[in-house]
Amino acid sequence: MRSGRISLGCNFACIHCQNWEISQQFVDGEIYREREIAALIDDAKRRGCRNQNWVGGDPIPHIPFWLRVLLLETEGMPVFFNTNGYYSAEASSLLRGVVDIYKIDFKYGSDRCAEKISDVSNYWTVLTRNLRGAKQHGELLIRVLVLPGHIDCCLRRILSFISEELGPETRVNLMDQYSPHWKASELPELRRRLNSAEWGKALRLASEAGMRNVIL
Amino acid sequence: MSEMWRLLRPDAVMALEDPKILSSMPRYVGILKGRFLPRFMVSRYVPVNWDLESSEGELWELHNRSLVEMESLMRDLDSGKIGHKEIGEPPERSLLHLKAKIGESLMAPCRLCERRCGADRLRGELGFCRVGREFKAHSCFDHMGEEPEVVPSFTVYG
Repeated sequence: MRSGRISLGCNFACIHCQNWEISQQFVDGEIYREREIAALIDDAKRRGCRNQNWVGGDPIPHIPFWLRVLLLETEGMPVFFNTNGYYSAEASSLLRGVVDIYKIDFKYGSDRCAEKISDVSNYWTVLTRNLRGAKQHGELLIRVLVLPGHIDCCLRRILSFISEELGPETRVNLMDQYSPHWKASELPELRRRLNSAEWGKALRLASEAGMRNVIL
Repeated sequence: MSEMWRLLRPDAVMALEDPKILSSMPRYVGILKGRFLPRFMVSRYVPVNWDLESSEGELWELHNRSLVEMESLMRDLDSGKIGHKEIGEPPERSLLHLKAKIGESLMAPCRLCERRCGADRLRGELGFCRVGREFKAHSCFDHMGEEPEVVPSFTVYG
């Protein structure tokens, strides 16, 4: 392992990113060899950790690295893929037969909001394709961070998609802890935290959608 | 870490018996209880051989056929039709090796995320995400702040 200037890198550029120091710019960090990470993961299994949690930035750009690490692991710790879900169909095929739990952040119900906040296009089509695939080829945990001002345009459609297409038993972590970071002040609605009326509405929408496995 | 997490997150101790968790991730819970193998371990037992001259299209065809085999092996292992001890030694080249090989070709031009920015990362070119050829990490640690079924989770920020 050696030190260097690094950026974890992310395929999104969310203007409210809470990890912006490491995802959106370069900082001091470590450069690992596959063998070193594999040994750390095997140790973690031996001391009782439940899974290897691949985060980023986002782990998508690192998939080729992770596949090489897995070849060197011996302990067999389940793979928890902690992603924004914006991966290509090719990446999805590589993940199938590798990932045990897909933890996908379902952020937006509208392409316009995704474009404006995270600078990505065609969000809805890509995410819904990958969410369906994740359910089919692994086990799925969805995180939904409720954004202030995005209840009607985003949350409503997210919850009805989950309930109708993936099933009301889908495990969803509904999160109220949004706080403004990085360049969030550029968008008026993202300058503040969620208010209690919005959180109340979020809970009501989840219950109206018939969600039966919500973590609060 | 020792057993400290049990005190910090009693909900995590109980999680593997929670009916909502058992119903949404039965296989994961089964892995933790030693009944099933993680998927990547099963992929390591599917033998695959390819020519050095194979095109990317041929590698994908081989990959997709082997994936069907892997999923069938996984069903047999999970159901007990094949015992964990009966599968023997992993082959020298497996589906997981093939995945790693194809993964590398997806880095140049990069098509891993749906931006498909096409950066030639094997030559060190950086695309939108600024991830190059090497693996760089900011930190790794035993994460106690995730969902109860997930912690303690060996988390790599990288």
